[in-house]
Amino acid sequence: MRAIITAGLMLATALTPAMAQEGRLVLYTSQPQTDAQQTADAFMEQYPDITVEWVRDGTTQIMARFRSELEAGTPQADVLLIADVVTMEGLKAEGLLLNYPEADVSAYPEGLHDEDGAYFSTKLITTGIVYNTAATMIPESWYDLTKPEAQGQIAMPSPLTSGAALIHTVTLTENLPEGWDFYTALAENGAQASGGNGGVLTAVSGGEKLYGMIVDYMPIREAANGAPVEFVFPTEGVSAVTEPAAILASSQNQENAKLFIDFLLSEEGQELAVSQGYIPARDGMALPEGYPDRSEINVLNYDAANALANEQANRDRFGEIFGQ
Amino acid sequence: MARFAPVALAIVAVGVLAALPLGRLMATALVGNAGLDFAPLIERLMRGSTQRAMFNTLDTAVMGAILALLIGTPFAFFVALTDVPFRRLQGFMLLLPLMIAPQVTALAYMQLLGPSSALLGTLGLAPAPGTPNPLLGRGGIILLYGIQHAPIVFITLRAGLTALPRDYFEAARAAGAGPWRVLATVTLPLMRPYFIAALALAFVSGVGNFGIPAFLGLPVNYLTLATLIYQQLASNGPTVLAQTAMLSLLIAAIAIVGIAIQSLAQKRESFAITRGAPLRLSLGGWRWPVAGIGLLLIGVMLVLPMLALLTTSLVPTYGVRLSFDTITLDNYVEVLARQASTIRAFTNSFYLSGLAALILALLAVPVALGLRGIPMRTRQALHGLLDLPYALPGIVLAIACILLFLRPLPLIGSLYNTPWIILVAYLMRFAALAVRPVDAALGQIPPQLGEAAAAAGAGGMRRLLTITLPLAAPAATAGALLVFMSAFNELTVSALLWSSRNETLGVILFSLDEAGLSAQASAVAVVTIAVVVMLLLALDRLAPRLPAGVLPWR
Repeated sequence: MRAIITAGLMLATALTPAMAQEGRLVLYTSQPQTDAQQTADAFMEQYPDITVEWVRDGTTQIMARFRSELEAGTPQADVLLIADVVTMEGLKAEGLLLNYPEADVSAYPEGLHDEDGAYFSTKLITTGIVYNTAATMIPESWYDLTKPEAQGQIAMPSPLTSGAALIHTVTLTENLPEGWDFYTALAENGAQASGGNGGVLTAVSGGEKLYGMIVDYMPIREAANGAPVEFVFPTEGVSAVTEPAAILASSQNQENAKLFIDFLLSEEGQELAVSQGYIPARDGMALPEGYPDRSEINVLNYDAANALANEQANRDRFGEIFGQ
Repeated sequence: MARFAPVALAIVAVGVLAALPLGRLMATALVGNAGLDFAPLIERLMRGSTQRAMFNTLDTAVMGAILALLIGTPFAFFVALTDVPFRRLQGFMLLLPLMIAPQVTALAYMQLLGPSSALLGTLGLAPAPGTPNPLLGRGGIILLYGIQHAPIVFITLRAGLTALPRDYFEAARAAGAGPWRVLATVTLPLMRPYFIAALALAFVSGVGNFGIPAFLGLPVNYLTLATLIYQQLASNGPTVLAQTAMLSLLIAAIAIVGIAIQSLAQKRESFAITRGAPLRLSLGGWRWPVAGIGLLLIGVMLVLPMLALLTTSLVPTYGVRLSFDTITLDNYVEVLARQASTIRAFTNSFYLSGLAALILALLAVPVALGLRGIPMRTRQALHGLLDLPYALPGIVLAIACILLFLRPLPLIGSLYNTPWIILVAYLMRFAALAVRPVDAALGQIPPQLGEAAAAAGAGGMRRLLTITLPLAAPAATAGALLVFMSAFNELTVSALLWSSRNETLGVILFSLDEAGLSAQASAVAVVTIAVVVMLLLALDRLAPRLPAGVLPWR
């Protein structure tokens, strides 16, 4: 009798479609520590029987970690939540991502997600200009950074180490009429490109540099805390990364991973992003404090597939201009 | 049988702790699809960026080691051999830079000298906004290597100096030599192996250092091999593991050169000294001036940047001036109360570094003994091999560990995603710190002691327990302390090896700093330093019950 029940239960389990709702989920993310903890907590509140184990590191380090695991043949992660689409495109091209075309993306603008459902945008993180309030010239345009007042005073993240910075570079070179000449002018004006966005914030709020290219939420958050910095959305427009999430084809907990993607895309998930100070990707949601009206933020377009194809060439070109 | 057991243990230990990770790296770097392939390595070597980074690595590591020697030596002499006032305090304070992560040292100094320096600002001396930090680039890196590694010199030299018996000194004095002459003709020659060991340790520490060149070099594109590897990892293509493995082989090669020079210099040394009453010179009227200069130097080197760190941790966010209106404990509340991960990280770091120190302390004496039973050339090679994981940047060792331990192993299963992989990496990385001092101590036990005991009928085990162990114990304990302090503050090994709930302090600091939250990072750093200082004070209280010479500052 017991054997029959057990067999029946096993059959039932096998036939029940999807929706595990228990077990574990391994998240690899590049979100800041606090944000990652909040995201995991909020998800576990909805699904108390799923344990989220998250590992946080910079996008590049997380990818190095994932690649090492892949090399050894035992990838651990179920879901990736990282800064940029270019990396995701690369993973997709290698067949490392699981398509999830059933995800509900009806509340999102066209073209924000991958058309096959390989990855989903969760936020808009724009890159604009930060300045120290001690600066005399208040920048309004990207071209202000090439003025003599900004000479030797610009810090920017390097596309050689930051995925978001690479997309920013590609976006600006595609959209500004000068293209790469704009970056040549920056280099000639003594701009310093290195590391990620955190370093730019430190340099500008510490006063070692007066201007910087940086992602929006960092200076907006810290200005609210009293840091001597202001963030500017330049008149020509800003670049944006979308912090995409994707399920890995090697995931051991694909059903839980789908629930997690659903959560990130849901209204609750997006409200969490707003409370953390990010521009939500979902339509019709209010922006966090410190941002202008959404209609005033002009996001420049760029071609992700093209960016992937020319990734190395773009890096090399940048390295050449900045002597790296 | 009993004679061969330590030799076998030593060979196994060196094999597991050093040859294994290095072999795995070499395999990744040199074995292509069609078997052994040196072409990519040679291509890599020919690149301008690689050669520049190699030169910069050598340059900063050598100059930094010399500076560390210049800073550490006088302190070691005065603290170990004279009656200078505040001896213990000076020794104690001088150890602190070693217990502070290189990134924190760099952060503290940048904050001290930058335009937003709260300290300089109060004095009206802060540079104007828009002034680049004077520490950026080669000079700053060398300066901070010198300061960061001076304690290694201090501890190593002091261990040798306290072993110097008064007899030699008195004999020389009786023969009519003045104190300075005795120092130059008796003490210094006796100390030579310790000098070379100290210089070599400081050099390899510089070669493998990531935090300081990352903070002070990367922003101005002054790259060392360690930061070049970091940049390569960041470019994150599929070839990145092979590329970093190649670059890490280059670092290994530089470290081998350093170690080989050390071996050559030590070749002719074969003396032994007996333990006697330690030397204590009287400085007379110079006591207070010497103490004053020492304390002033320590103040500049250590206290000022610590104050800079403290002031930064007390403002709401980096860049805000400290005043009665802005002072806040919010950063401490955030990292200690709201972020559960910080407390966890403290526990994890304590646990893992303590365990690593304990295991290595227990292993150090038999391993060093075993190595001494091996013919000279082979022994030096094995010592060199053991030094390598310490010389490699932590991030490289971490990759080797991932490649080694990701797949489940028989008996132990997969270590990946457990704290044990971090422990194993610590054992590999810091083994040299534990074995070197013990080896130096063993080298100075005269064989006559053992022979006399044997003649009196003492068996091998008895001689080990009554002669060798007591004489080597202080060095083993000093080594264990070095291991603990280094592991407690390391950032780069665990940066790749940590997993959910197994984060270390280094990981937390790195994360906060990467997110631009310097004020919170400073708060974590201040608490770390406070905890380590309290721990050391507790040890200091226990000192009367510990064997003499165990605590490096007493």
